[in-house]
Amino acid sequence: MKLTRRMTLAAFAGMLALGTAVPAYAADLIAIITPSHDNPFFKAEAVGAEAKAKELGYEALVLVHDDDANKQSELIDTAIGRGAKAIILDNAGADATVAAVQKAKDAGIPSFLIDREINATGVAVAQIVSNNYQGAQLGAQEFVKLMGEKGNFVELVGKESDTNAGIRSKGYHDVIDDYPDLKMVAQQSANWSQTEAYSKMESILQANPDIKGVISGNDTMAMGAYAALAAANRKDVIVVGFDGSNDVRDSINSGGIKATVLQPAFAQAQMAVEQANDLIKNKKSPAKEKQLMDCVLVNGDNAAKLETFALTN
Amino acid sequence: MLNTKPNWPILAVMVGISLTACKILPTKSGDGGNAPAFNPDKIVEEIWAAKVVPYLQEKAGPFAQVHTLATTDAAAAGAKYGNPNKQANSPWTFAVRLEGRIVAANTQSRAATVDVDVDGDGKADARVQIGPAVRGTALRDSLDFIQFNDFTNQIDFAQFGKAFNSYADKTVLSKLPREALEGRSAKVVGAYTLGSGQDLPLVTPAEAEIGPKP
Repeated sequence: MKLTRRMTLAAFAGMLALGTAVPAYAADLIAIITPSHDNPFFKAEAVGAEAKAKELGYEALVLVHDDDANKQSELIDTAIGRGAKAIILDNAGADATVAAVQKAKDAGIPSFLIDREINATGVAVAQIVSNNYQGAQLGAQEFVKLMGEKGNFVELVGKESDTNAGIRSKGYHDVIDDYPDLKMVAQQSANWSQTEAYSKMESILQANPDIKGVISGNDTMAMGAYAALAAANRKDVIVVGFDGSNDVRDSINSGGIKATVLQPAFAQAQMAVEQANDLIKNKKSPAKEKQLMDCVLVNGDNAAKLETFALTN
Repeated sequence: MLNTKPNWPILAVMVGISLTACKILPTKSGDGGNAPAFNPDKIVEEIWAAKVVPYLQEKAGPFAQVHTLATTDAAAAGAKYGNPNKQANSPWTFAVRLEGRIVAANTQSRAATVDVDVDGDGKADARVQIGPAVRGTALRDSLDFIQFNDFTNQIDFAQFGKAFNSYADKTVLSKLPREALEGRSAKVVGAYTLGSGQDLPLVTPAEAEIGPKP
């Protein structure tokens, strides 16, 4: 092993002497950068992208930016420094990310964005995102139906820096606000966090015991809210989430949370890697930069078919 | 033993990285920062009579024909009545014209609908939205001159979709009768998105007439 290593390093040194920083001895590298894997949604993205990259013969560099734009910028530098052939990125802010992706582009590395958009076109090669608005409408329509078009409700909003938090909230309200008998008594951000949603829900419930429903910007917050409601003996409150996680699937199956909206996270990440591969190997860019993937409503009817952010037939 | 001999090449790599990392770039100001504020309601108002209604009139096929083809060969129906510029992963949205008799009405919900029988068998074939709450983005998605890529982000695109529904409600749907709808005739030009569920196809009108009580 040691001998091999020395030989490779010697070869590498030779390569450097020739003026190239690309480690030709290894497989081509694809960097996969997402928010923290604490949220199973982002983990599914990373796992999906990594599996597809390996399947196509690449080495994968999996990194997390923890929704910190500065850290994301450093990780992009790392990807550039390691000579990545492409970057798959679920980004840390629609505005803050533009410069980071531009930096990669200037270094000749194409970026394929998943899940979250940035507020610029022509910088990334692809922006493949779930149709969050369409999904939010599905969730809100189900929520309105479950609520019988009337009653007090609470909205838990996601992290403000994440463009999808705003899009989903907008999608919810574009449907719900058409029903004047549905009254929002509290709207708070729980930053996509389960524990934060639990404590926020506890205090909201104390101030508003007469609530009938909670619509949440994602599943982890829905889980936290439902746990707080259950602890307060208020399992009657209707909870609807967004993402399509296995946790919420299990809750739906046991009569807890009522519905969620599936984002095809796994398929989306794999599609991004396929498009990166097409560009690297065939010099073929995707036909459109911005690509929307539709979401699917998940409730008691189809929850059993849900597994790791994908519905089986 | 890892760190004994190969220090020099690693150092070289480090230098390489830090040089790349230190590249100085001008700070980008956000795109479209100085662009005039996006006003979807105004845009829809401007294109409605000039482009939207003529497009749907021209493109629309009779509902029964469109839907039969759509359920057997969606791509063929899409080529004929659909928006060819739709997102690759989205279902088809078709332009349709529909004429028939109202066999059921749901005006309890604010997302009110009438179920229309178009083939005279007494059974509902399509569900037509009559507002004031209008669901979905079928009108926006049926138009081949509207593309997601032309919008800054999903929010703008979403607001644009909503603006079509609001305009249809304001200028067409809110003028329709709401009482004793069953048995009356209905005539609609609009759009619907091919769904996968068992529900009736949900048509969003751009033009609609409901006849007098029978």
